[in-house]
Amino acid sequence: MPVKGLRTVTTAQNGVGAFIHQCKRLDFHYCKYGGSSRGMLAFLTQTLPNFARENPQIELRVAPRPGKHPVIKGQYVNGREKAICVRNLEPIDILKKAMILKDASGDKLKRTKKPVTSINESVRGIWSPYHGDLRGV
Amino acid sequence: MATSIVAPKRPFVTLPFLLPSWTDALALGSRRHQSSYRRTKQRLRVKPDASFGPSHQGRDHIIYNPPSSAPSVYHTPNKFLPPNDARRAMRPATPASFDASDLPNVHKINDEAKYHLTPSDIEEIRKLRLSDPMTWSRHKLAKRFECSPLFIAIVCEASPEKKQIQKQVLEAVQSRWGTKRRMAREDRQLRREAWNRDE
Amino acid sequence: MKRLQLQRWSSTVLSPRARTVNRLHQHLYSASLRHQSTAAPLQSEPQDASIGTNFEDPEVMRQVRSAHKRKSQLQYPSPPVEAATNSAKLAALHARLYLPSRLPVQTLARTLVDASADPNADFNNESLATLGHDLLTYYTSEYLLCKYPRLPLTVIFAAMYAYVGPKTLAAMAKEWGVDLAAAPGGEVDPGYLQFRRVDPGTDVNAATDDVKTPRPYANAAKWRKTVTSKIFYDDEFGDPIKGASAPGEGVTAEQASATFVRALMGSVYLHAGRPAAKRFFEQHILSRSLNISDLFNFSQPARDLARLCARENFEKPVAKITSETGRLSRHPVFVVGIFSGQDQLGEGAGASLLEARERAALSALKGWYLYSPLNVRVPSSMEEDGASPWEPAHVDLGEVIT
Repeated sequence: MPVKGLRTVTTAQNGVGAFIHQCKRLDFHYCKYGGSSRGMLAFLTQTLPNFARENPQIELRVAPRPGKHPVIKGQYVNGREKAICVRNLEPIDILKKAMILKDASGDKLKRTKKPVTSINESVRGIWSPYHGDLRGV
Repeated sequence: MATSIVAPKRPFVTLPFLLPSWTDALALGSRRHQSSYRRTKQRLRVKPDASFGPSHQGRDHIIYNPPSSAPSVYHTPNKFLPPNDARRAMRPATPASFDASDLPNVHKINDEAKYHLTPSDIEEIRKLRLSDPMTWSRHKLAKRFECSPLFIAIVCEASPEKKQIQKQVLEAVQSRWGTKRRMAREDRQLRREAWNRDE
Repeated sequence: MKRLQLQRWSSTVLSPRARTVNRLHQHLYSASLRHQSTAAPLQSEPQDASIGTNFEDPEVMRQVRSAHKRKSQLQYPSPPVEAATNSAKLAALHARLYLPSRLPVQTLARTLVDASADPNADFNNESLATLGHDLLTYYTSEYLLCKYPRLPLTVIFAAMYAYVGPKTLAAMAKEWGVDLAAAPGGEVDPGYLQFRRVDPGTDVNAATDDVKTPRPYANAAKWRKTVTSKIFYDDEFGDPIKGASAPGEGVTAEQASATFVRALMGSVYLHAGRPAAKRFFEQHILSRSLNISDLFNFSQPARDLARLCARENFEKPVAKITSETGRLSRHPVFVVGIFSGQDQLGEGAGASLLEARERAALSALKGWYLYSPLNVRVPSSMEEDGASPWEPAHVDLGEVIT
């Protein structure tokens, strides 16, 4: 057989073609009586319906967590979870925290050293000492 | 505030890296003490490629400066393009100064095939190889009949006894290999397989 | 030390049940297959019968209703159709994939039910998956054949596998955020992918030699299975066609996820039409990155190249040293170009002349096989409105056979 095929799997490039929002679920936990949940309760009644309407791609869950501080937890496509405690925060600040979780990719935060990271091949190729305008030594 | 002139402990002439580059000629005697930074800088001061130059004044032009990198496999060679492909006309032709025959060959190129062996010769090759395989090896036969060993392998096959003997010889040789040699041989085989996958 | 926190349910466990339970309630509880709490239905006191059922009590009615609902759900192997509209998970998945609004969530829920979970063909995704699989392989194969008309058949099989093989589709389902249900059932949220898992310890890769193939002389010894015969007798990836799995058998998560993606493609086609299905395919499958040149595995590149040049009436390919360094050192590098007449066909670098020559021949062959015409159009683009007249696609002689 002259040539055989090697089996591989295509690599996803999120955003090339379709873009899949990486946050798939947000859990809002509150306490009905705790003082630190006062802002959260206001957020749940006033801001959350609008937030849910604007982000249909995220599943929202609201669950009481009596005797605890209020928390927002985000579940991500890569299987990771991120949680932010929102005790004593005003609704507007809680919205900001929810936006942070909504926009996160779920990966651990890491420093980006290069302005562009790409799996595409370089247009000019990798420089080689044996090509181009060779000069005699 | 005390004003003081910081004077170097040594005179300027012995510190050539503090002087502008035209003093290079002066500091010939102390070339060994040049800083490597300066040396590198100077080597990098090369003229830009001719296509960047002002030869096309006033006209729009394309800067053709091919990358100094191995060609991509997605870049189909001109010869492989179908006749109706538009890229054939767009690409620059090979420069006339280039001649492939100037380059050295990897292998010794055999002359044209001679086709000088007759069916009776081939019969004889087969007979010789079967009758006395130890004397008439492929190479010896090739030398005698002035053909390639490959041709001998094409026209006839070694006898089963000879194959068996050869197999035993190989096993005997391999049994004396230690770990290092065996691993090196295996690595060589793996590297060879990697060529075929272009890795 | 942390104090033990008693949960809400703990009162029913620790203290005798205070609330009276009427007969209707008992009946419903004992009839249902699963019990919410083990403590609840065991309290059968005879004096409860004297107390009349109070249907005005909203608490009782709520429990009755939920018990009815649960009972009706439990008698089905997969979630009922009306549950789809109440599932937040399902709605979120619909929005996350930007599915067309014409595709109802009920159909999306159906694509998430595998045949191993619900054998009823009216409620599982098998029919949708069959359609989706045909569409996916059709669109992929026409794209590959038009984009790279000279690819050898084995590489086309490998590329098909890379684009729409089960491994890729399962990875896609995972990247879409589709959660897998632990076990299927009517009470499960329809947003989960439901399938019956294989029993632990089953050999998934067990060879199924007893599959009857339509290939003649399949069992004859020394009968060579040619690559060309795979087009007729085998599936899209060059694998032997497997028979349908026996009912009641579980499937792996990979198989179930792949079936889901295929079924989704089929349902997009059915509900939103051809253009939407094509767009869905381009955005989710064709947009993934694949370097076709990595799929080749040659065995005798130099010989193949010589045969190719002879077939195409080119001059005999000759390997020539373009540049080299360190010939007598421990790490020499040779750059060898393959020339046919004055034209360079390929180039390769290696630590030995043989390696460089092999690599050069290989790159020349890849240059031949990876030819791609300009302005590639696929036949299915003719189905669009206002498509310009069809120009024949480039058809090549075929691969080099030695």
